Amino acid sequence: MPQINMVQSLNRSLDQLMAGDERIVLLGEDIGIDGGVFRVTDNLMNKYGEERVIDTPLNELGIIGMATGMAMYGLKPIAEIQFQDYIFPAFDQIVNNVAKVRYRTGGRFSVPLIIRTPYGGGVKGGLYHSQSGESYFAHTPGLTVVTPSNPYDARGLLVSAYKSNDPVIFLEPKRLYRAIKTEVPDELFEVEIGKAAKLKEGDDLSIITYGSTVPTVMNTVEKNGVNADVIDLRTLLPMDVGSIIETAEKTGRVVIVHEAPKTLGVGAEVSALIAERAIDSLRSPIVRVAGYDTPFPYSHEELYLPGEKRIMNAVNKVLAH
Amino acid sequence: MSMVGNLSNEQALIAYKNAVRARTLDIKIINAQRQGIIGFHVPAQGQEMIQIAIGMMAEKEDLIFSYYRDLALYLQRGVPVGDIFDQMLGNSSDLQKGRQMPDHFSFSEYNFSTVQSPVGSHIPLTVGAAYAMRYNKKKGIVIVTFGDGATSTSDFHAALNFASVYNLGVLFICENNGFAISMPVSKQTKADIYKKGSAYGIPGKRVDGNDLIASLAGLQEAFDYVRSGKGPYLVEAVTYRIGPHSTSDDPKKYRVDEITDGSDKDPIRRLENLMLKMGVVDSNFIQTTKIEAKQEVDKALDERMNIPPTEPSSIFDDVYEKPTWIQEEERRDLDASD
Repeated sequence: MPQINMVQSLNRSLDQLMAGDERIVLLGEDIGIDGGVFRVTDNLMNKYGEERVIDTPLNELGIIGMATGMAMYGLKPIAEIQFQDYIFPAFDQIVNNVAKVRYRTGGRFSVPLIIRTPYGGGVKGGLYHSQSGESYFAHTPGLTVVTPSNPYDARGLLVSAYKSNDPVIFLEPKRLYRAIKTEVPDELFEVEIGKAAKLKEGDDLSIITYGSTVPTVMNTVEKNGVNADVIDLRTLLPMDVGSIIETAEKTGRVVIVHEAPKTLGVGAEVSALIAERAIDSLRSPIVRVAGYDTPFPYSHEELYLPGEKRIMNAVNKVLAH
Repeated sequence: MSMVGNLSNEQALIAYKNAVRARTLDIKIINAQRQGIIGFHVPAQGQEMIQIAIGMMAEKEDLIFSYYRDLALYLQRGVPVGDIFDQMLGNSSDLQKGRQMPDHFSFSEYNFSTVQSPVGSHIPLTVGAAYAMRYNKKKGIVIVTFGDGATSTSDFHAALNFASVYNLGVLFICENNGFAISMPVSKQTKADIYKKGSAYGIPGKRVDGNDLIASLAGLQEAFDYVRSGKGPYLVEAVTYRIGPHSTSDDPKKYRVDEITDGSDKDPIRRLENLMLKMGVVDSNFIQTTKIEAKQEVDKALDERMNIPPTEPSSIFDDVYEKPTWIQEEERRDLDASD
């Protein structure tokens, strides 16, 4: 089996899905001849033509509004927002139309739309190419929010998002786009939405993470011989509460790691779920290692991103308690 | 018999009847709101003629994205008054299961889309719908209505640009009723609304939306243009909002009425006077039409107002195709708290 990176995995998956379903159209900025600024849609316009791979004017509201209309009337659009930082002009469309059309029409309409967008820092992108805005979307009933941490999950989650009849926010951790190569089967397969992955079994504590910080956590626990359960959430809405509670009850010590700002980040919801359901099992306070509550700093991005040192401080803190 | 141009006497009679029905329904809803039977209403009085004209020009296969002030358009397109009341009441017969506040319909059986509150945010959806129709080789065009306030939104401009870039069959119709809540159109924009498409290569036209004959004549060119595949078109229908913005609004704070219900400038009265003058109808017909309309809306509300609301636990349906564990758990909590 060939080893491929996340960009290759997504590109191959989009290609295969498009080959099998004429309802699929792609739309976004520079996704056609340019193949997208990260090349995820490379060569797809050549293969499927301009009617199915649509370069759009520079207007995110327009992209998502158009994609919503397409999804309501029989197509299966996959929209790309070039950077998640640029999605906010479309936020009204996402929150008030995309997420609510099924509900407000009593199920008479649906929006089977995938919105792909790269997020997170680590590529020297400064304030506006680095944000992790998953909480904005995970706070909106009607949306499904997923984020793969490796090329295999990228493929499986994309296929599951394609099969969903509801809108999916598909967050791609851009610093992992080309960082990791893994074996990915060439036939289409699904990674179930709403199911976390246990990446490592351990007894001393649980580390719950997702997206770009998954490799950081794995490298840290391996290098330092930490005997941890490591959970990759993969879906942020709806979260896999079963896996979260199971590991919390098993180890009684929980560290949550993510890159987004700590306040009201995904870690807050994970903490609350554990507090509501498994507090009796806890042997230590829950500790969150997250991005700082600042805008994303350009010249100190390594400082901002949760790294080995901060993760180990948290691990030692919960173990010492 | 032709009344004017292509407008037959029979079409004119239907148009008149529907305008009267819409006006009567509107008044009925306002009264029901004051009595606490209906929660809210966005009156559409004064805008009936342009809405009737759109309904007359549109074919069945044309998809319409209406906005929250289009009562006459629904009636002209055949939506039963009872279905409108079900939505206004949010009862268990409401097609949308009581999920939306009044005037936010989704009469898809009549090829309407869905109405939302955020002004203008339906306009970009028309681009995708038109794209999908062309992609799937479906007949028909997409028609979208909105108020003058909507022309200031980013949604409006994005939609015009996209529709033009992809040469899509979208007919944009601004029902310029002079006000966006309290803001007169003179403060909304310094430009003519019908010219706003020129920045995007879209032709535009202003029509007298208070006159059925003028509306039909003006719309003809726009419909022909879009149907012929030349691309989108922008119509500004100048009309007048006789009532307040909504039942929660007091227009006395910001304006003096220039046109009132039943005055000579009232669009329905204008058609009525023309038909009387031309001998198409007599005063008996006018009186009978009004009485019948009143009977129809009175009866419909009486029938519908006692239909019970949906089951409380249904609030957790349709968030997703299948509820997630979160909705299921909250539904159990709700049931347990009874």
